[in-house]
Amino acid sequence: MGAFEYRQAQEINDAFNRNGVRYLFIGKSGAVLLGFPDTTQDAHVFVERSPANGSAIAAALRDLGFSLTQEQTAEIERGKDFVQLKNGPFDLDLVFAPDGIERFEDAWQRHVDVEGFPVCHPDDIIASKAAANRARDRESLPRLKAFRDYWIKQKTMR
Amino acid sequence: MNNQADTIEILTDASSDWQEWLEEFEAAARRTPEMRMRYAFIKTYKPVLDDATYRSFDSMEDYRRWCEDNLPSWLGYGRV
Repeated sequence: MGAFEYRQAQEINDAFNRNGVRYLFIGKSGAVLLGFPDTTQDAHVFVERSPANGSAIAAALRDLGFSLTQEQTAEIERGKDFVQLKNGPFDLDLVFAPDGIERFEDAWQRHVDVEGFPVCHPDDIIASKAAANRARDRESLPRLKAFRDYWIKQKTMR
Repeated sequence: MNNQADTIEILTDASSDWQEWLEEFEAAARRTPEMRMRYAFIKTYKPVLDDATYRSFDSMEDYRRWCEDNLPSWLGYGRV
């Protein structure tokens, strides 16, 4: 399997929108969509935990070509905190409860639209990485915070 | 969340990097989201992590602990 591509992000967006999934790109994949220049391997989406959204996610994933067992479908519908999918056309991580963000609704209120892609606000991406406190995040946080400052400045200048 | 003290600290601590970062941010801002993703996403094999087609965790704490117990430390998934 090759690197994640823009076309696949579009496929996610199309399938999730078609099925009414409430979601946001989060993590470095979200930051990259906002304009953060860095490298990453993983695509992460922050998904709202609710029975209706869980069912919509499972349907959208099947549309995208992920092969889910009944048990896996039930786990997604139930909204386990973190689900790692490598059983489809690309790898995708579903995050129902990212560290550092209290509620999906709060993040949704702050979210940014990038050419139709719903993306977490840089403050939320930073909050989740800071709370996760992983070695890999610690290294990238100063640059990501500097990007946040740059991004906000550019936004206010427009 | 963003606050002024945080911003000042970042700019001070990273002042030597700031100019270089600024040039990178400006270059990225001129690219389309498609180009940004093309430059950003890479694929390398991650031992253990890539060896299962599906994993799920009841809590983020369970996931973090699993990463620390099972993944090579050099992947950087362990907490500081």
